Amino acid sequence: MNCVELHQSLAEVEDGGSVERLAHLRACPACSALVRDLNQIAAAASRLQAADEPSPRVWNSIEVALRQEGLIRLQRAGRPLITTFSRWGAARWLVPAAAMLLLALGISVRRELRPNPSAQQASVAVPVANPSDLNDDDLRQEIANNTPEIKTLYEENLRQVNDSIRDAQGVVDETPNDEDARRSLMDAYQQKAMLFELAMDHSAE
Amino acid sequence: MVSKRAAKLVAIGVIVAGTLVAESKREYHFSVGPRAGVSVMNPYGSISVKPSLNNTVVVNAILHSDKVEIDNNQNGNRVDIQSHLLAGADSDSGRVDYEVLVPADASVTLHSSTGSLRAEKLHGDVSLEGAGAAVDVRDVSDAHVHVKTMNGAVNLDNIQNGHVEVDSLSGDVTLRSVTGPLVQVVSTSGRINYFGDFGNSGEYRLTSHSGDIEATIPEWTSADVSARSVRGEVHDDIPLQPKNHTWFPIDKGRAFAGTMGRVAVSSTVVLRSFSGKIHLRKRSEKQ
Repeated sequence: MNCVELHQSLAEVEDGGSVERLAHLRACPACSALVRDLNQIAAAASRLQAADEPSPRVWNSIEVALRQEGLIRLQRAGRPLITTFSRWGAARWLVPAAAMLLLALGISVRRELRPNPSAQQASVAVPVANPSDLNDDDLRQEIANNTPEIKTLYEENLRQVNDSIRDAQGVVDETPNDEDARRSLMDAYQQKAMLFELAMDHSAE
Repeated sequence: MVSKRAAKLVAIGVIVAGTLVAESKREYHFSVGPRAGVSVMNPYGSISVKPSLNNTVVVNAILHSDKVEIDNNQNGNRVDIQSHLLAGADSDSGRVDYEVLVPADASVTLHSSTGSLRAEKLHGDVSLEGAGAAVDVRDVSDAHVHVKTMNGAVNLDNIQNGHVEVDSLSGDVTLRSVTGPLVQVVSTSGRINYFGDFGNSGEYRLTSHSGDIEATIPEWTSADVSARSVRGEVHDDIPLQPKNHTWFPIDKGRAFAGTMGRVAVSSTVVLRSFSGKIHLRKRSEKQ
């Protein structure tokens, strides 16, 4: 298993981890760091209250985005993805965060799969662990071929959305029980996910 | 002196002629059945959609240069139009402006990065997405209206019985007479303005991070309203019946909650901001 295959295998939410995957993780520091980051998000999610379930809209957006990126497949009949996520209790919060990561990962993998005549690089760019500036460089890569005006537009909005994440994260850190602050943080991440979506759609046009 | 003026006129004439030569028009017609799907992807330029008189889709396009062409495809009841940028195209030479007529019940998906997006007098689902595109949707009923923009201004006017979702990063969002089972706006720094009566028994969620939220409503509105700004101020010009229980602490100046009008038909209204101001205003006679 190589890095790209491992990244693709991360979308297999029901897969406990194959022998090949474990072997690759032992041999590849970049991928093992990535999986460690995902586990950290899962651990952080478990500290959130189960009552703070994101709205159905969040699940729908995530599902559509993941399907569009080809990161998940159609579910078996009678077993919608949302229901699957809903069974995870407090860890449901992992999914929006992980979706962010997977969306960015999708960009990263796509970029890796593009032919690059200037270098025969075997390594895979690993998303930044800190969710507050998650894969900003990947977004920049995605819009690299656009006009300077469009790039400026994305940069400005990226800065704003990162500021909003930082603002909300600061209040959540100060007052972890403030439900509105937590929702603001979640909204800020959703907005960032939307920015990635727009960038990907834009580059596909 | 005369020769200078003549030279100027010739130069202007050449420029105008060059522009006219570069611009070209295309027109496409497609026959479709009920509830057709129409998609227009246009990196640079505007898209305007209006209802057609019969079951046809008519696409009128103005291409601003020969560095862009139009790919069109009909697959059953679905029509896909895409501006195809050729080598060397930029935001000027790659620009195409579309006027599209569709059956009023068609579902419409529009993408543009920089041009304006406009849809009117439809009752099929409308999905509009653009980075810097200004969005204008009016006179739409019984439909989903989904809008995603970065910094383009969003104006929704007279949307009845809509399932409305607007996501905007930094553009201002204005809703006038927009009602339905779900009306939801999420913005990072853009301002959100709502003018209307919140309909009957719908759910209205206006959320911003740093942008201000202002809802201007008539006195006879029936709504269960809660508002909170984590770091900003809230103002309420309308007396509300206080609620016994709220899901957040009512810090004066930061939050309010209460009901107004007839409870049986009241909508749920949630106004939420992180650092923006929230203002619930009573509509004056002039508005």
